[in-house]
Amino acid sequence: MNIINKFFLVVVLLPTRLYSRMGIDTHQLRNILRIKLVMDDRRPNTFQQSRRENAREVSSATLGTMGVSALLGLLSLGGFFVGSDYLTHLTIYYAFYIFLLSSTLISDFTSVLIDVRDNYILLPKPVNDRTFVTARLLHITVHICKLIVPMNLPAVIYMGVKTGIWSATVFLLVAIMVTLFTIFLINALYLLIIRITTPQKFQGIISYIQIFFAIFVFAGYQSLPRLVDKMDLAAFHLSSSPLMWFIPPYWFAGGWQCLTEGDTSTSALVAAFVTFSLPFISIWLVVKYFAPSFNRKLSMISGSEEVATAKPSILVPGDGFSIPHRLARWVTKPGAERMAFEFCWKMTGRSRDFKMKVYPSFGYILVYFVMMFTNKRNFSLTDLSEETQSGRMVIVSVLYFSSFMLMMAINQVVYSEKFKAAWIFFSTPVKYPGSIMSGAVKSAMLKFYIPVLVLITIPALALVGVKIIPNLLLGLFNELLICSTLAYISIQHLPFSLQQGNNGKAGNFFRGTAMLIIPGIIGLIHYFIYPHLWIVSILCVFSVVGTGLAIKAIEHKRWKAVLKKYDE
Amino acid sequence: MEPIIRITELRKSYGPKQVLKGISLDIYPGQVIGYIGPNGAGKSTTVKILCGLISDYSGDVFVKGINLKEDVLAVKSLIGYVPELAELYEVLTPVEFLGFMAELYNMPEAVATERIVRMMTAFGLEQNMNQRMDTFSKGMRQKVLITSGLLHNPDVIILDEPLSGLDANSVIIVKDLISKLARDGKTIFYCSHMMDVVEKVSDRIILINDGAVIADGSFEDLKEKQGSKSLEKIFAGYTASNTLTNASDDLINALSDKAN
Repeated sequence: MNIINKFFLVVVLLPTRLYSRMGIDTHQLRNILRIKLVMDDRRPNTFQQSRRENAREVSSATLGTMGVSALLGLLSLGGFFVGSDYLTHLTIYYAFYIFLLSSTLISDFTSVLIDVRDNYILLPKPVNDRTFVTARLLHITVHICKLIVPMNLPAVIYMGVKTGIWSATVFLLVAIMVTLFTIFLINALYLLIIRITTPQKFQGIISYIQIFFAIFVFAGYQSLPRLVDKMDLAAFHLSSSPLMWFIPPYWFAGGWQCLTEGDTSTSALVAAFVTFSLPFISIWLVVKYFAPSFNRKLSMISGSEEVATAKPSILVPGDGFSIPHRLARWVTKPGAERMAFEFCWKMTGRSRDFKMKVYPSFGYILVYFVMMFTNKRNFSLTDLSEETQSGRMVIVSVLYFSSFMLMMAINQVVYSEKFKAAWIFFSTPVKYPGSIMSGAVKSAMLKFYIPVLVLITIPALALVGVKIIPNLLLGLFNELLICSTLAYISIQHLPFSLQQGNNGKAGNFFRGTAMLIIPGIIGLIHYFIYPHLWIVSILCVFSVVGTGLAIKAIEHKRWKAVLKKYDE
Repeated sequence: MEPIIRITELRKSYGPKQVLKGISLDIYPGQVIGYIGPNGAGKSTTVKILCGLISDYSGDVFVKGINLKEDVLAVKSLIGYVPELAELYEVLTPVEFLGFMAELYNMPEAVATERIVRMMTAFGLEQNMNQRMDTFSKGMRQKVLITSGLLHNPDVIILDEPLSGLDANSVIIVKDLISKLARDGKTIFYCSHMMDVVEKVSDRIILINDGAVIADGSFEDLKEKQGSKSLEKIFAGYTASNTLTNASDDLINALSDKAN
């Protein structure tokens, strides 16, 4: 256990006498807390979860969590550069803070703080309810402290230096109030989610929130410095319009202002009152009404009490009218390839693991995309419709940039948490493993290609018109060509058959570079031949033929080569 | 002799569904109870009540004369529970995990440490004692789990499918252990679906179906009543309608392409 956890353990156990008087077994309390903190240290945290590289033993996750929190806190300091007065600064800072804290806690609540295994491990032991509940509450408190102390530290120092100790102290007090309020928000959100969905879908929703969070942080990290650079934000300040009262951070900022600047107007007093009463009301609500039903419902998430009774349905072969089924019949040969196509289509849609890996990267790419556009000066829509030089540049880069998304998805197709289930491919009499691989590649490619196709084609036709069609076709065909060629190079395993984190191999560097260089070069060539329609048309044909050849080559991969890859 | 566990008219419902419909049992020290029944019969609900995990039941449960409703903690101290799913904090090592369990039972540290080392060694885990359990096989986890249930030397031991994942040699050890514990006067509550094991280890078999006890007695008693040779057959005789052979016939017929 590291020094920070030891410190927290000593601090929260200080009122031992009070605990014993409340009927709590302090010996058990200390031991439960100690073991929980040790476990926290060994569990990869929210930030490490999504990019867990290897099955390396995590041993001081606490320090990692605190470091990341401090970094997020530093980023939130951006709020102080927006606006001309502290009311504006703080409203923005607290808004960031509520967002960051709730996004972190939302996943921690299920994975760390309310561990359903406790029901089997702790409850059959002679531990009384008070000890158990107190241990849980103290654990949550310590966990939250580990997040909020480093998160607020940069801002407290900043405030201390800028405005003095008194205002920094008030700032900290208000921050604690905001924290309580945030916990209330999360509880309410959880209850809402649990109410509208089944416990089974709950985890899925939480992971979507995590994905969104990752993308948001990335976007903020990318755009904030540029925004500050670009706009004259310093002159901006929040008006005291009644609409502001709908934004909770504004109340807290007002509370701070009332106490530090001696503002005694009615609105400041109301804000101060709300700041210091609302959190307590909300915590009271949590303890009184939310927590009991909340815990019960949460334990259902992995409980076996509710066995889903599936609706009886009879499957008639050849009865599938679903899109993947139709597509499969259209683009694959019957047998292993068709099976692999439909299998991958379903797996990519249902596996949480796959989504957690691929969707954030989609988000990152989109963010880059938007950044690219907003950074381009002197660029207008007429450039697009006239197909001027800069217009062409944008069209070509959009076309080739989107191939990254496809490659992301295709590269991920070989990984799965349930990688052992891939025995089905090895034990069945499949002649060429290539047919399974090509089915999988086609599936991932089409699944993520169709939305890209729609997203590009519609605005392109709307903004540029019919004359873009030859170039658009070439770009879209080339995307397929690039992906299938790279898939031929990089896909050397069967779909969903590798453990995540097994990818620290030498071929990776090559693959990564190829992913960047090949679309770049092809895109550049396309840019130069753009006006010559007959070359474009001929290349379209070549592109289609090339794609066909690459897919054929994947189809013909042999067992010998594939099996060798598994031995490495 | 005083029964160590006395259950009278135990009832429990989840919403409108009644899972236990009045179970009454007297269990004596040194008995190995084979507690069997089809899925959903109410086995795990009984076990959960006995372990103090469910408190809103009706009827009475006494363990060693202590009313479960009045002093859950005292009852919990008397019971060692080995749950079915290998629920462990797998980021801990066996020594850490078991040490923690011992603390919860308020055992003196020296005693606990010595027992942990000796029991782990006896299970052949002395090399793995200080490794985190996330790398452990199912069998190794099961051994740690069994140790955690026995560590505080309880009078009543509840085992839920304790042999799952264990290799053949470990199965022999655990089966042997069960009979030796019983000889020492411990009461063992053995829940399982593996009829051949239950038949061999238990000296009293309690069969429940649909929330009620439908057979109770030694294997010999049950054999006499049902006229079947194995517990498997007896079990089927009580719980299944005569569809079992039909089911296998249907399975075989599904493989031949003949139209019915």
